[in-house]
Amino acid sequence: MNRSAAARAALAVAVLVPVVVLAAAVGLSTGAGALSLRDALRGQEPDATVLFRLRLPRVLLAAEVGAALSVAGVALQALLRNPLADPFVFGLSGGAAIGTAIVTVASGSAVGVAATYGAAFLGLLPAQLAAMAGAMAAALLVFTLGRARGQLEPSRALLVGVVFNSFASALVLSVEAVLRPDQMQAVSLWLAGTLGYEAMPLLAGAGVALLAPALVLIALAGRLNLLALGDEGAAALGVDVGRTRLLAFFAASAAVGIAVAFTGLVGFVGLIVPHAVRLLTGPDHRVVLPASALGGAAFLVLADALARVLFRGLGAEPPVGAVTAIVGAPLFVLLMRSRR
Amino acid sequence: MRLLEVDGVRYRHAAAAPEAIAGASLAVAGGEVVGLIGPNAAGKSTLARLCCGLLAAQQGSVSLRGARVDKLSRRERARRVAFLPQHPPHDLSFTAREVALMGRAPHLGLWSLEGPNDLTRATAALAEVDALDLADRPVSQLSGGERQRVFLARAFAQEASLLVLDEPTAALDLAHQVLLVSALRRRAREGGGALLVLHDLALAGAACDRVVLLHRGRVVAEGAPAEVLRSAILSPVYGTEVEVVANPATGQPLVAPRIQR
Repeated sequence: MNRSAAARAALAVAVLVPVVVLAAAVGLSTGAGALSLRDALRGQEPDATVLFRLRLPRVLLAAEVGAALSVAGVALQALLRNPLADPFVFGLSGGAAIGTAIVTVASGSAVGVAATYGAAFLGLLPAQLAAMAGAMAAALLVFTLGRARGQLEPSRALLVGVVFNSFASALVLSVEAVLRPDQMQAVSLWLAGTLGYEAMPLLAGAGVALLAPALVLIALAGRLNLLALGDEGAAALGVDVGRTRLLAFFAASAAVGIAVAFTGLVGFVGLIVPHAVRLLTGPDHRVVLPASALGGAAFLVLADALARVLFRGLGAEPPVGAVTAIVGAPLFVLLMRSRR
Repeated sequence: MRLLEVDGVRYRHAAAAPEAIAGASLAVAGGEVVGLIGPNAAGKSTLARLCCGLLAAQQGSVSLRGARVDKLSRRERARRVAFLPQHPPHDLSFTAREVALMGRAPHLGLWSLEGPNDLTRATAALAEVDALDLADRPVSQLSGGERQRVFLARAFAQEASLLVLDEPTAALDLAHQVLLVSALRRRAREGGGALLVLHDLALAGAACDRVVLLHRGRVVAEGAPAEVLRSAILSPVYGTEVEVVANPATGQPLVAPRIQR
């Protein structure tokens, strides 16, 4: 395969863009009732509202979150030199859970009121703001405690993240003891990862906000490749290992933070999408990163469509995080075993 | 101008540790292949890392083509010196060609995308070490010697004027040792230079213009192979009886320990 990375990346994008479009078409045509595309485009109600206010935002949200989690997964796997790292492994899930739990408990108090105002300013719900803030606080904590000799030490940071996640789940369990049943259900649904219906301007904002970490990571892709040579091997090729890790860590954390704010903890996307992409493209991050963004978008849109179809008869739907895990876990084992 | 100049360098791995390098000086000029020899724990690999700026000297200075290594940007440093570690990683899923292309990293722009010129140079580097037929195989599936050749190709593709190679022949069979030495000599004729950390003293005698003998972090002998590779010098440093004879075919020193059975 004597093609340049740019050519291979372009090929991967050319193959995956139609896949995303197809997934979006499936997502848009799946729902509680039948929808006439022609009526919707002509502005006829209720079809127009269903398409533009409900299904399109939902598909967009799934695509954004799927892309963000996959790209973050790739980056963190490169940092840890371990293809089994998950975007939440550095304590981000724990931080987000604590944030949400605290705001849910404190909904009447001064903290809750402050969170409500802060969130309203950004067009978010208090729980969303708290989740994002919690995830970013956890990232900072893990970064601070996971350093040795002024540099982020991935193995150390991983340990801090794992310990912090356990600590956080214990804390959330304790908080749940004082919650009302309805609050408790909201928290546990959120922990499982749920796609909701967001306003279009907010989704556009999130898309723009996600572009920054995605571009940072794609610019770092060549250096992430070199990290596979070990710290010394990368440094000998001119890589500032400390700065590369720092940038990759915070870019990935920001992407996860934004995703978590909207959907809670959607597991497996950041693990299985990069893995599947690597099987097709090889390990070069300059190809894997853009391909994972598109693959992740398609995967979550389809998982969400599946969640809606599966339980249509029951008039309810499982959280999308449950679907990604139910589909993802066996798929992951299958991919892993087909590797040789 | 000297490709490498090491002047009075001292280095400790930790504040309480003994000095690994206790005031060492050496130089490599363009056109020279220099061997760095010495017993285990003499400080050879540490000194090699200091030469590449991968470790920072606590005293003394290291210069690459006249510029202090600690004043150079990382990229500029990587354009002046290429480093082959003693133990290259073995679990890479990258192909041999991709690893050779990594050597082009210090020459690439913001998005790290290589052009046709980089591909050509990586391919040429693979050919130079007889690794072209490995190009599309993942490094994790290669044998130790094949992997060593791929990482040598990566160092060659870097096109730095100085090569610092830590035990470059350890995993190579005889034919590939000869191939590597002739590649290094060819580069030297074109003005490049190399510093080789070697345990094989016969190879040091055959391949190098000069040999530097390191012992407990100090340079204890330096000069042409015939001057340094002598029983009276080597035996006390290596702590065993070493015999040196002239190769009847080439006249180069042949070094062998006396082994009692």
